[in-house]
Amino acid sequence: MERTLTVLQVSLYHSTPGQGAFAKVPLQLLHDTSRLLVGRGKDTHIQLQLPQLSRHHLSLEPYLEKGSTLLAFCLKVLSRKSCVWVNGLPLRYLEQVPLSTVNRISFSGIQMVVRREGGNSLEAFVCYFRFSSSPLIYRPQAQETDEWENVVKKETPPVCGEATHGLLGSPHGSSWTQTAVSSQAPEEEQK
Amino acid sequence: MLSFEDADTEETVTCLQMTVYHPSQQQSGIFKSIRFCNKEKFPSIEVVRFGRNSNVCRYIFQDKQVSRVQFALQPFKQFNSSVLSFEIKNMSKKTSLMVDNQELGYLNKMDLPYKCMLRFGEYQLLLEKEDGESVESFETQFILSPRPLLQENNWPTQSPIPEDGGYSSYFTHRTYPTEMDENEL
Repeated sequence: MERTLTVLQVSLYHSTPGQGAFAKVPLQLLHDTSRLLVGRGKDTHIQLQLPQLSRHHLSLEPYLEKGSTLLAFCLKVLSRKSCVWVNGLPLRYLEQVPLSTVNRISFSGIQMVVRREGGNSLEAFVCYFRFSSSPLIYRPQAQETDEWENVVKKETPPVCGEATHGLLGSPHGSSWTQTAVSSQAPEEEQK
Repeated sequence: MLSFEDADTEETVTCLQMTVYHPSQQQSGIFKSIRFCNKEKFPSIEVVRFGRNSNVCRYIFQDKQVSRVQFALQPFKQFNSSVLSFEIKNMSKKTSLMVDNQELGYLNKMDLPYKCMLRFGEYQLLLEKEDGESVESFETQFILSPRPLLQENNWPTQSPIPEDGGYSSYFTHRTYPTEMDENEL
């Protein structure tokens, strides 16, 4: 019986024009159950070309929770200098946290949203990458108001979390293969 | 070159001491590639693998019954802690890894206690961690035990069960004698 692969849908954003930071990131990456290294170094699996990144910046490591048959992932910070924010939690060197189904990760000006779609294969998992031209994660900004202003009537504050639903979780035409089947490959998405 | 007085203060290094035993260790040479008593230093981002495959594993067990990668150890930092902790992950599809009385299946992992007994197959490893100040690196040290680390059948204590399967008042938990009338017997 063919087992389905766990899929990590990874959306990336950085403010550099032309997305040069992601020039070496493939659209699809099949990986075994060893840890996935993210950073500036040539030996990383997801190589990001930014000088402020550490050679090994963070890792995503698959594992199994006791009693579960679906791969879980643990994010660990490998950078001594930078903080990595995961779902609002700041992590420092060697600190780690298990990932949820949807995760908002930011570090060194990069925003990364990782959505996990469970599969039952324990041999490998696959990452699909897409590159956003607009921010993926908003932080609420402080707003100056007149002390006499009616607070109820003020504008809706910015949303903290995913920027738009259109960027995540729904296919753009046929550019995503949502089914985690090892024999299928996603159609190419223009960078 | 800096003199002793001007050099940076050295930090103590966390040491993971591993005492190993296998009943066939003398005749089979399963530990022959391990340098006992020698301390080895690793950067804290390293994953230390144990198993049969010398291309992937740092510590090799020369035993066909050992998986290519049997288990892996790696350090991490708990939140609000200044010392290194370790986690262990079972990398064997065929063999469970016992950590004290906890059973880890394939890809299961857990935090290592300061002192614990690992068991897989007939292998016994006593792991003891000595904390150090440095989070940049850690050390390992292997010691070969000439005798078993575990007493045979040294399993968690259980209440005794009579041979006939039945229970009598003898086995109920009493902390003090029960007064009986001599005519009751």
